[in-house]
Amino acid sequence: MSQLGLNPPTTRTWRDIPQPVAPRIRTLGREGKKRLAMAVGNIIGLVLVLGAAGWGVYEVVTLWETNPARITAPTKGVPIRDYAVRTDGVLDKAWVKRTLDLPKKASLMEADLVDLKHRLEESGQVSKAVIERRFPDILVVTLQERTPVARVVARIGDASPVSFMVARDGMVYSGFGYNVEMVDALPFIDGVKLVREGAGFERIEGMDTVADLLGTAQVSAPALYHTFKIVSLARFGLDRTLSVKSSEVEAITFGSSQDGFYRQLARLDYIMEETRRQNTAGQLKSVNLAIGDKQVPVSFFDTTPPDGREPSRSSASALRPASPSGTALFALPSRNSSPSKRDF
Amino acid sequence: MISRTKFIGAVEIGTSKVSVLIGELTQGRTLHIIGVGECQSRGVIKGAVSDFKAASEATHSALMAAEQSAGTRIDEVYLAQTGGHLEGFYNEASVNVSAADNLVGSPDIDTVCRLAKAKNLPEGRMVVHHLRRPFRLDGRSVPDPENLVGQRLEAGYWTVHGHEGKIADNIHVIRGFNVRVAELILSSLASGAILASSEDKQNGVLVIDVGAGTTDFVLYRDGCAQLTGVVPVGGVHLTNDLSLGLRVTEGQAEKLKLRFGRGTVATKDRAEKVWLNGDFAIGDRQFPRHTIEQITAARTAELFEVVRKKLGAAFSPEKTAAGVILTGGTAKLPGIEEAAARVFGVQARLGEAPGWVAENLRDPGFSSVLGLLQYGLSSRADLAAPRSRTRAPGWMSKLFATA
Repeated sequence: MSQLGLNPPTTRTWRDIPQPVAPRIRTLGREGKKRLAMAVGNIIGLVLVLGAAGWGVYEVVTLWETNPARITAPTKGVPIRDYAVRTDGVLDKAWVKRTLDLPKKASLMEADLVDLKHRLEESGQVSKAVIERRFPDILVVTLQERTPVARVVARIGDASPVSFMVARDGMVYSGFGYNVEMVDALPFIDGVKLVREGAGFERIEGMDTVADLLGTAQVSAPALYHTFKIVSLARFGLDRTLSVKSSEVEAITFGSSQDGFYRQLARLDYIMEETRRQNTAGQLKSVNLAIGDKQVPVSFFDTTPPDGREPSRSSASALRPASPSGTALFALPSRNSSPSKRDF
Repeated sequence: MISRTKFIGAVEIGTSKVSVLIGELTQGRTLHIIGVGECQSRGVIKGAVSDFKAASEATHSALMAAEQSAGTRIDEVYLAQTGGHLEGFYNEASVNVSAADNLVGSPDIDTVCRLAKAKNLPEGRMVVHHLRRPFRLDGRSVPDPENLVGQRLEAGYWTVHGHEGKIADNIHVIRGFNVRVAELILSSLASGAILASSEDKQNGVLVIDVGAGTTDFVLYRDGCAQLTGVVPVGGVHLTNDLSLGLRVTEGQAEKLKLRFGRGTVATKDRAEKVWLNGDFAIGDRQFPRHTIEQITAARTAELFEVVRKKLGAAFSPEKTAAGVILTGGTAKLPGIEEAAARVFGVQARLGEAPGWVAENLRDPGFSSVLGLLQYGLSSRADLAAPRSRTRAPGWMSKLFATA
């Protein structure tokens, strides 16, 4: 029995024999070398696989950042599930789907965006279309639509006449989705010859002037605007005048170069109001607002009473025509009562 | 803590054969034996590696066969250790219980254990096992003294040590297969672990593993291994004696031993003869059966005498109530139990593997490798604390070691 110190000598045990992780090759047997080689092979394989995976991820990320369009293969098979339509007008998703006319299982990546854009813009109602892919399966369509300012009736071949919309830029197109009341309120365009161009028509010259006139009338004199039925561009090419047929006046001539439409509309309003107030001169037949700003040539329908009495003269000193159906000059009030200050 | 499925190889590099079993250890609890490999041994004399290359080739063949049979690769190895170089000694130490109230604490136990194990070994020797005997607290034997009251705590260890080079050779043979040796277990302890029950160990039992080149033994008492030893004599010596006595080759002697050898002489008729081969071919000849039995019985008795002599005073028939359990390849010799009973003065029997062991593994030659798995697993928890110096290998090390 021994009572030794508290720090006795340590004895060596078999666990002190080193068993290195990588044993000396010379002590390895044939099978041991094979196993070691397999172990090393495993590690090399693991490193290679991890390296390849990392490189692949890096390549995909780089490609995505630089040119995502090249990554077509991975999503080639994903069909378009839905359309996201954004528009500033009246067109809807159904119209877009119908117009694009894509096969049911068309894949998102296979869709030719340029072609689809052309299809939408061909309709005429769309002035600009932007189409994007939203991965994985949504086609995003953003539309900028034309606004119709007038209508035009045309006959194509032997078919019955069809009404088309005309936009400010002269584009003639079949309108879709517009409010019927809004369409009915649009005046017709006359005095133009529609020329076919592809599936549509050539643009109508002078529509920007027509749009200015109608726009000004719609905003400043809606009562007058609602009487406008037909706007003729027959003389626009000659003297840049527009002839409007309204429900009250057969021909109102607007000049586009001399004076602004706002002043002309104001004068027209004054003339019509004075005419209605006096109620003696009969119904106006024509008003030519394109000439001068103090005296406006007007003509009346023959409305002379059967007793032969002349209607009383107004203080507005409008001139009576020499003959009941002749042309007279309607004198406008002096400049200090500027039409720009009067209320329509 | 083992937290996954491990494939453990139990390897015994014997003098006549190399045996390998593969156990699938699940969650550190359930063990299934899933692979067996066996190969004739080469390059091993009396349990020690004498030709590294030959021994490696034989061992690796057995390992490969076991891996093929299991369909998996071994993660680590429990290796059996035997050989005449193994020796043991008993050392004990005592400490005064440090607590004022004389309550034995964990530090007291650690200190006395450390002191009992701390004995310098001669140069070139290293410890294989420290086998602790029951603690004694104020002279009474206690299995666990913690929280008991006493003044003097004593602990004793049977330390098994061996030649550093020979142990290292054994380990390097396994390392040559690029597998780590996780446990090095004395062959006798392995056999005892599988063959002796807890009751046997408590009552006292001597387990003798008679191999080809060595005979390993362990004496249990009070539930603990008291003493172990290795005698560098085994079945090969019986063959050699027959070869010399009958003037036949070793191969012929081995055949005669296997067919007619006995642990005790049973043949009364001295004139009864047996044929060497029995095929009546040229060279076939007759030998007196009585002579064969005499030679093998004499050597067997001598072997047991040597074992008894090595046990010395530690063995007494009175304190070995459970008798002698015999195992190992040579234990298949008929009449060997009688020989053992005569020498030791107690009943002797052939060891039987537990019921869960498959039929093909119930041969006495497999008891060591079976015991390796059982002993290794049960001792791992006990060894965990002292093994804190050895770092658990990282995943990279495991990849190298097990791939």
